[in-house]
Amino acid sequence: MSKPGKATGRHDGRLAVWLLAPSLAFVTILGAFPVLSQFVLSFTHYNMKFADERGFAGLANFARLATDTTFLQDFWQTVYFTVMSVGLELTFGLAAALALNRIGRGRAPVNTSVVLPWALPTVVAATMWSLILNDRMGLLNSVLVRLGAIDTPVVWLGPGLAMGSIILADVWKTTPFVAIILLGGLKSIPDQYYEAAALDGAGRWHLFRFVTMPLLRPFIAIALLFRTMDAFRIFDIIWVLTGGATKTETLSIYIYRVLFRYSDLGYGSAMTVALFLIVFLMSLGLLKIMKVTREPLQ
Amino acid sequence: MRRKRLDSVGLWIARGAIAAACLIPFYWLLNVSLSTPSAIYKMPADYWPRPAVIDNFRAVFETGQFLRNILNSFVVASLTTLLTLALASPAAYALARLRVRRKDLIMAVFLGVAIFPAIGMVGPLYVAMARLSLIGRYPALVLPYTLMSLPLAVWILTHYFSTLPRSLEDAALIDGCSPAQAFLRVILPVSAPGLFTSAALIFIFAWNEFLFALIMTSTPESRTVPVALALFAGLHELPWGTIAAATVVSIAPVLVLVALFQRKIVEGLTAGATR
Repeated sequence: MSKPGKATGRHDGRLAVWLLAPSLAFVTILGAFPVLSQFVLSFTHYNMKFADERGFAGLANFARLATDTTFLQDFWQTVYFTVMSVGLELTFGLAAALALNRIGRGRAPVNTSVVLPWALPTVVAATMWSLILNDRMGLLNSVLVRLGAIDTPVVWLGPGLAMGSIILADVWKTTPFVAIILLGGLKSIPDQYYEAAALDGAGRWHLFRFVTMPLLRPFIAIALLFRTMDAFRIFDIIWVLTGGATKTETLSIYIYRVLFRYSDLGYGSAMTVALFLIVFLMSLGLLKIMKVTREPLQ
Repeated sequence: MRRKRLDSVGLWIARGAIAAACLIPFYWLLNVSLSTPSAIYKMPADYWPRPAVIDNFRAVFETGQFLRNILNSFVVASLTTLLTLALASPAAYALARLRVRRKDLIMAVFLGVAIFPAIGMVGPLYVAMARLSLIGRYPALVLPYTLMSLPLAVWILTHYFSTLPRSLEDAALIDGCSPAQAFLRVILPVSAPGLFTSAALIFIFAWNEFLFALIMTSTPESRTVPVALALFAGLHELPWGTIAAATVVSIAPVLVLVALFQRKIVEGLTAGATR
C-alpha cells in the first residue's frame, strides 16, 4: 500500500467526525438507552402487574438468580445446547470447507445449496424440521419405518429426544456459516506453503496437521466466537420447535417468559444482565485464546 | 495419476453428499406443500406427492393477508438496508481511511451493541416505540434492525474500503475535489461490489428476524413473514399443507438473492472474518 497521501491532511479530523457522527449518535440513542435501562431495572423490584410495589432492590434480583432452580436448569440446558451444536458445526463445517475448497466446475450450484440453509429465516428452517421430525407424518419416521428400523413412530420432539432434535436442526442451519468462514481461511493459505512442505517430503496428513491447521486456527477462532455468542442467546428455533417444553428451555426463552408473560421487569432485566455478562466474558475468553493462537504465526 | 483420479471422485461424492444434506429438507417441504391433507398424514409417507395439488397455495393467498405480510417484510428489509448503508458507509470510510482518535472505543461501542442480548433490548425499545405510537408500524422494526445490523455493515465496509488503492483519493484531490467529495464521487461508486455484498447480508438479516417482529407487531396485518408463519399454527388445527405452502412462498425471495449473490455473500462473510 502506498504512503498516506494528501487525503490524510489537517481537515481530515473534522471530516471524520462528520462521517462518524450519524452512526454513533444512532447507536448511542437507540442502543445505549435499552442497555442502560436494563442495568437500572435489574436493581429494582418492578412487576407491571403490581406496579405500586416498585422500589430499589439492591442485589436482591441477582441473589434470587442463584436459588432459582428454573434459571439454573435453563442455564445448563443452554450450555449443553451451545457446546453440542457449536462442536458439531465446527466439525462438519471444517469437513465441508475441505471438500469445497478448490472446487472448479459445478461451483455455483454447490455453493448456492450450501449457502441456502444459512440464508433462510430460522422460523422457516424450524418449520421444515418439524415436517421432518413430526411423529405422525414426518420424513424421518417414514424412512425408518420403511427400512424396518422401527415399528412405531418415534416422538422426536418429545421428552428425552427433543434437545437432540433441536441441535440437529440448528446444526443443519448454521454449519454452512462455519463452512463459509473456514473456506475463506483455506483460500487465504498460499499454495507455496504446500509446495514447500511437499518438497520436504510431507505426506497428506502432515500437510493438514502442520500447514493447514495452524494457518486456519484464527478462522476457527472467529467461527467459534460468532457461533458461541449466537448459540448462547438461542431463541427462535426452540420457540418454534418446542416452545421450551420437555427440558429444552434456554435462558432467552425463560427471560421472554419472565418479561412478557409474568411482566416482571426487575427480575427479567437482572437475568438479561446476567446473560449479557456471561456472553461478554465468554467472548473475552475466546478473544484471548485467539490472540494466543495467532501470535506464534507472526 | 490413478490416485489423483480416485481422489477427485471421492471429493465429488463428498460434495454431492453435502449438497444433498442441504437440499433434502427443501425437497420435503415442497413435497408436503403439494400434497393433499390425507396424503400428508400417511405413515409411512410417500416420497413424492400423489396426487400433486396446488390447493395449499390457493389457501395461502385466499385472504390476501399473507401477501400483506410479504409486502411488510419487503418494505422493512429494504428500508433497513438503505438506512444501514447510509449510516455505515461514511463511518466505515472514516475508520478505514481517516485519522480517527479513540478508534478502539468506537469499535467497542459497535461491538457492545452486537453482543447485548436481543431479548434484553426488545423490552425497553418496545416501551420507547409505544410512547411514540409506532407499534405495528414500519419504524418500530426498521430502527431496531438498523441498530443490530450496523456493526456487521461497518465491519465489512471498513475492510472493503481499506483494500482500495490510496491513489483513488489522491487523484480526486489533485482534480480539486474536497475529501468529502472524493468519498461521495469517487470512493462510493467504485465500492459498489462491497456495498452490494453488505446490502444482501443486511436484507437477509432483516427478512429473517423473528423476536422483534413478534413483539413489535400488534395486528395480523402488520406482521412480517416469519411471524405470520410461526403464528399460522395458532389459528387452526395445524394446517400443515398450508404452512408448508406459505413457507415455500416465503423462501422465494431469499432463494433469488442467494442464487444471484452467492459468490458475493461468501466473499462478504469471509472478508468479515479475515480482518
